[in-house]
Amino acid sequence: MAGGQERILRRRIKSVQATRKITKAMELIAASQISRSQARIVANRPYRNGMQRIIIEAALGDPAAAKKMLIAPEKVDTAIVLVITGDRGLSGAYNSSVLRAGERLVRQLRSEGASVRLFAVGKKAAAFFRFRGMEVEQSFVGFADRPSFSDARLVAGTIAAPFIDGQAQQVLLVSTRFHSAGSQSVEVEQLLPLSVPEVVVDDSPKALKGYTEFEPEVEALLTYLAPRALESEIFSALLEGAASFHTSQQRAMAAATDNADELGQTLTRIMNRARQDSITTEIMEIVSGAEALRSGK
Amino acid sequence: MAILKVEIVTPESALWSGEATALLARSSDGEFTILPQHTSTVGDVVPGLVRVETSEGELAFAVHGGYFQVGAGEGDGVTLATVLAGIAERTTEIDVPRAQAAKEAAELELASATRGDGNDHAAQLLAQAALERAELRLRSASK
Repeated sequence: MAGGQERILRRRIKSVQATRKITKAMELIAASQISRSQARIVANRPYRNGMQRIIIEAALGDPAAAKKMLIAPEKVDTAIVLVITGDRGLSGAYNSSVLRAGERLVRQLRSEGASVRLFAVGKKAAAFFRFRGMEVEQSFVGFADRPSFSDARLVAGTIAAPFIDGQAQQVLLVSTRFHSAGSQSVEVEQLLPLSVPEVVVDDSPKALKGYTEFEPEVEALLTYLAPRALESEIFSALLEGAASFHTSQQRAMAAATDNADELGQTLTRIMNRARQDSITTEIMEIVSGAEALRSGK
Repeated sequence: MAILKVEIVTPESALWSGEATALLARSSDGEFTILPQHTSTVGDVVPGLVRVETSEGELAFAVHGGYFQVGAGEGDGVTLATVLAGIAERTTEIDVPRAQAAKEAAELELASATRGDGNDHAAQLLAQAALERAELRLRSASK
């Protein structure tokens, strides 16, 4: 009897359907998280823009003082690289594309003769880099899905410390930027020294440059402003990373659900044919048995 | 018509924005007041109360340190004052029992960090900062 095959197929269909339920649920959860994390990016924008405006003002107000904080070093002996990934997998290429970009950057820096200290947000980075013989100095885990500003503060404080001590001359960030729901890309950015956002020439005649007053003086202001700006940059990178993660996961899980649908359909078809075959065989056996009995009379 | 627009912004959200008649706060150079038509200014805000006077009354915010910028806003005669703060809250929204509990916890933490070998400078600073935040909340909430 061919019933054995039918039973195996039935079991497989059941397991495919169970998996589909999980991927569907994950897809829906990710979808609900997308809008939430997008809203957080929007809510963060005024702060980020304000921070950049202040840095521009300060840089314009006292270029000499700003230079110390803002100009790229001529020679980088030690660079710090921060890689922002997710805590969880099952999110398509989200983690691997950031990690691969990070690996490329580390190799490039090393070939230029700089030593690299790696820091990472997310669980996925440590194992990836260890396998490739690069040690992650510290991994921050547990908040990649829903970063709060105090998380950003913690990260900023940790990675800025060697820069402030003079042990490192450059801090770089590898993260996924969220441009829109349909487009995210992995980008490498210099965090420290602060890169002045491109100074757009202000076309409003009222904004006369050099007429801005500072309380306290620019130099004192910049010393404290730089760490705050770093926190702000890292926070927005974390928010965009989280949004990209959810988008990527939603897309991956939608594809997995479609696959499960297709697989279930194919398996059902095969199972139906197997059942039909076994019925046909059974009838054949009965008929030929009856035939044999009749002719034996 | 001279208009002053004020924004109180934190990384998590824009806390408040609207038209005001004056903005009062304290920078490391001392207390200051921003009125409509104020010249472009950039400065810091030390932890304390930031008050916004509007035509409908006064609003107060507990701001745990930050920066402010005054500049020309969009439109004619509009002055835009932005206060950027890592942490800030409306004084009316401060949870007094929670702040009180946080203050006591911070005091304990500070005491234990100080009592130790004296090497735990980082913990001491953290506890100190937490204590200051809690005290600022309590001070602001009573106003």
